[in-house]
Amino acid sequence: MRKIDFRLNGVPVSIETQLNRRLLDVLHEDFELIGVKEGCGEGECGACAVLIDHEVVNSCSIPIANCLGKDIVTIEGFSNTSRYKILKNAFEEEGAVQCGFCTPGMMIAAESLLNKNSNPTIEEIKIGLSGNLCRCTGYNMIIKAIKRAAKEGDGKW
Amino acid sequence: MVKQVIPKNLSEVLELISKEKYRFVAGGTDMLIQNHNLKTLPIDFKDNIIYIADLQELRGITEDAEFVTIGACEPLEAIMENKLTPKILKDTIIQMASPAIRHIGTIGGNIGNASPAGDLLVPLYILNAIIEVQSLRGTRNILISDFITHVRRIDLKEDEIITKIIVSKINFDKTDFVKVGPRLSDAISKLSFLGAVTFHEGKILDLRFAFGAVNITVVRRPDIECQYIHKTKEELKNSVDEIAEKYSEYIRPIDDQRSNKEYRKTVALNLLRNFIEEL
Amino acid sequence: MKDISKSIFKTDGDEKISGQAKYVADIKLPDMQHALTKRSSIVCGEIKNIEYPTIPEGYFIVDHRDVPGKNVVKIIYEDMPVFTEKEITYLHEPILLVCGPDKSIVKDIVDNIKIEYIEKKPVFDWVNSAVHYHFDKGESKSIFAKADRVIEYDYETGYQEQAYIETQGFIGYLEGEKVTLSGSIQCPYYVKNAVIQALGTADDLVRIIQPSVGGAFGGKEEFPSLIACQLACAIKKVKKPIQLIYEREEDMLVTTKRHPARMHFSAAIGKNNELLGLKVNAGIDAGANIGLSAVVLARALIAGTGAYTIDNFDASGDVFITNTVPNGAFRGFGAPQMFYGVEMFMEHVARDLGIDQLEFKKKYLAKQNDLTSTCGIFRDPIIMNEMLEKALEISDYKKKRKEYSNPLSNKGIGISLFFHGCGFTGSGEAKIIKAKVKLKKDKFNKVYILVAAVDMGQGIRTTLRKVVSHILEIPIEDVIFDFPDTDFVPDSGPTVASRTMMIVGGLIARACETMKKRWKESEFIIEKTYIQPEYIKFDDETFTGDAYPAYSWGINVVEVRVDPNTYQTKVLNTWSVYDVGKSIDDRIILGQADGGLTQGIAYGYLEVMNHVNGVIKQKNMTDYIIPTAMDTGNMETVIYENPYAFGPYGAKGVGELTLIGGAPAVCFAIEQAVNKRIHKIPASPEYILEMMNDEKNRL
Repeated sequence: MRKIDFRLNGVPVSIETQLNRRLLDVLHEDFELIGVKEGCGEGECGACAVLIDHEVVNSCSIPIANCLGKDIVTIEGFSNTSRYKILKNAFEEEGAVQCGFCTPGMMIAAESLLNKNSNPTIEEIKIGLSGNLCRCTGYNMIIKAIKRAAKEGDGKW
Repeated sequence: MVKQVIPKNLSEVLELISKEKYRFVAGGTDMLIQNHNLKTLPIDFKDNIIYIADLQELRGITEDAEFVTIGACEPLEAIMENKLTPKILKDTIIQMASPAIRHIGTIGGNIGNASPAGDLLVPLYILNAIIEVQSLRGTRNILISDFITHVRRIDLKEDEIITKIIVSKINFDKTDFVKVGPRLSDAISKLSFLGAVTFHEGKILDLRFAFGAVNITVVRRPDIECQYIHKTKEELKNSVDEIAEKYSEYIRPIDDQRSNKEYRKTVALNLLRNFIEEL
Repeated sequence: MKDISKSIFKTDGDEKISGQAKYVADIKLPDMQHALTKRSSIVCGEIKNIEYPTIPEGYFIVDHRDVPGKNVVKIIYEDMPVFTEKEITYLHEPILLVCGPDKSIVKDIVDNIKIEYIEKKPVFDWVNSAVHYHFDKGESKSIFAKADRVIEYDYETGYQEQAYIETQGFIGYLEGEKVTLSGSIQCPYYVKNAVIQALGTADDLVRIIQPSVGGAFGGKEEFPSLIACQLACAIKKVKKPIQLIYEREEDMLVTTKRHPARMHFSAAIGKNNELLGLKVNAGIDAGANIGLSAVVLARALIAGTGAYTIDNFDASGDVFITNTVPNGAFRGFGAPQMFYGVEMFMEHVARDLGIDQLEFKKKYLAKQNDLTSTCGIFRDPIIMNEMLEKALEISDYKKKRKEYSNPLSNKGIGISLFFHGCGFTGSGEAKIIKAKVKLKKDKFNKVYILVAAVDMGQGIRTTLRKVVSHILEIPIEDVIFDFPDTDFVPDSGPTVASRTMMIVGGLIARACETMKKRWKESEFIIEKTYIQPEYIKFDDETFTGDAYPAYSWGINVVEVRVDPNTYQTKVLNTWSVYDVGKSIDDRIILGQADGGLTQGIAYGYLEVMNHVNGVIKQKNMTDYIIPTAMDTGNMETVIYENPYAFGPYGAKGVGELTLIGGAPAVCFAIEQAVNKRIHKIPASPEYILEMMNDEKNRL
């Protein structure tokens, strides 16, 4: 057991826990942030995606030990931003949400991409989403949503 | 109950491993899957663990006149984005896994894992990468093809840790890395191929081939490559059957849940032929 | 009056995008226990002895002795035990649950239970037929004798795993004598009735509440009833809330998949190259239990003539039992297998006759008033010719088909024609389901939709509310559709068979008409029960009559490039045209179109799953390959209106139609690119290499 301090959704937090717990479980069980979902437990599906230092990572593949001093943002934290509102609107306009299980992960992956590349091509969007599996939508509407958000982003990224 | 340590610096690590056996967790993408436990339960590590991802001494990319040195815990995406990184490493990394995995997976982790399907190993073999390891006894430098001895086996003593990967700043006229996976991203390779060539005044100056996931380690045969130095492009193309025949002996893939021997071998040789024919 | 097809934002977008939607794993209850399943480690045999480790206080074993009612899961054909007593018929068959407060201790107990087995020789060959069907139409026997020529081919389809991103699972608790369960399901009443049977308890002592469901595709049609029965027995014994959620590997290994199929087709050809008659013999692998396999076979055989009218037709088939994981429902339910077979056969026959494949298929396309494969009638207009013109136009099919016949192009383009019968096959809707809906109005003029239909992503939380809002002319905010809770909603039937909008929505629409007339009343409830239109009659024994009340139609065009060195297929573009009667929301229908086609195409070339001696080899998301964003090409879809009288606003079924045509379309494209004939799916790169090495295989 050890105390791990990090920033969670903009706020400094501290947790005393076993170092070999997955970040996903610490977020979902201890912090009750249900926006991280477990789809596969092996780093393939991206449903557990969060931002660490503003880059998308799979929280099922990160031990809490590696979170010491990091800046972690989940969909709950991201949903308070104006960038979220643009992305959300784009997702809704394009019909990019069906069962919703992959959706928070897709939003996180989208933010990670747009933060580095504010006007990505379709190919770059596909690469940006390549670690997020969706079984419902066939991806096209999600890709179009991100293209739309980039266009309507109005300098936000 | 296994011991788990978040070390403050590299010295602390060398001390610890000089006394007791530890396994390293860098990014964790491989280690967490290999020690997978049920949902909500802690990762089922069977050995003592040192978490090395954030050790600054193992990060960073630097260069000198001849070499580029990459810290063992440098994440793949950061390596890909760095202007010092050789092109064939960049070309490989973009085809690996996914952005999420590339943000935390490390070059040292990939090498330490020594998976026969490890994509990054292929360009490292082409570049004759040197692996630097440290222990309290000092520093050792080993050529990657000597460092990786078998499937998931490396020449790392219990009191050693991989600290740096050193690659030469070599440029090629043409390189082509082809990853053949079951789908176009987020997938473990069925096989991979990298060809690299440099010409000088119409004759081959440098010719290198490497194959991944078709034998227990990456297949690189400098003894075959050197037979074609000083040949012209035409001569090389005319020898394509002969070259494929020579490599055929060393391409010994397996059947598994992802693919079969016949496919892996046929495609590996197709890619070799195609590289030569397209020159 | 605004056109209902015009899209609105989905009503559950907010909660899903923000991550606040609650799926089973997000529900936490005080003093919640954990349950894990102990499964057989042999493929076939029986349990000789079970040795338990010391079980600490507060931990429980739950097995067949703890099933108070019938130890059989209520499915269409009941041959799956809740907990097996002794007999093992497939690897990982569930034997018992272990429950307790600390999951790691539960896991230890499971790992330390030692089971001794007597192994028996398993059967993997398709030799044990448990169900045999046969029917014919016209002069199917004599026509083959009169034929100028008979052409015959075999086709094979593999497993397909639903791979919903949310795994299966339940949470449940006890309130007095009443068991309440919440799970990732498609059919609240299937689950409720199964639990009632397993507990041997009264109707009002079981309650099923649906949470958000993370995808299902048929995989959560009947399988969840098994988990629910096991968990209900555990809850009754332990008397505490229990959570049971499957790990991904567990889910992939033990839950139902699409039935692998083998089909043998014969065509009787006349002297002018006419298709005089068609015969199909099909087998499907049910795995260790029949379950609903007979219905899958029935739907498949009924689809045996494809989108074509064949006057002389003979269909026969078998459900085979093998010692492998039991198979079950998956979007399409037997139709994807058969449409793959019949479409490939039609084109291969055309090639053998030296006729243009599309011209050949067009010649036999079904028309209104034609007799179906079971001598029913296509009563409603069929607009496939118009749809075909559109599909050819938007895809530039003819020009590309010609261009890609050059083998150096490495490209191909293919077109598939298909339909899907909407609603339960045969007389199920009228005789078994008897769907009931309720519509409630309160004194604040809010209207409540009370049905057991589950939104698993297909958008009925939005579309059913749209129907009510439009008919009653009230704002959609005043239409409430809570998650189905069996304490409050009637049994409107399972969320399967593409029946929800057409049948349940149709009943809701009728309830709205009645409500509208009584609108001035303060508070009341309207109840409607499904009555089959009189003229729709089907004899399940002889397979005669109208198997479905309505049909949705579709066309897929798929363009690919096959790498000549690696034999990998890249899907470049797709174009689709669908007749779903009426789109209740264009964007939602287009979303179903994209998603279904992606699954259908992947079924045709990408998704590989096989077993070796009863062991599934691809058991996680790393090894079972579904498409990623990088694998998709551009998708264009056009929706046609062709209203069906009994669907709300003319709507017919959509959910499954969009998966049916992907596999044959992508296979036709690959065939053109590699100049070989495909007889097996998935047409993986390994299989393409096999075909390339087979000199006798020529397109």
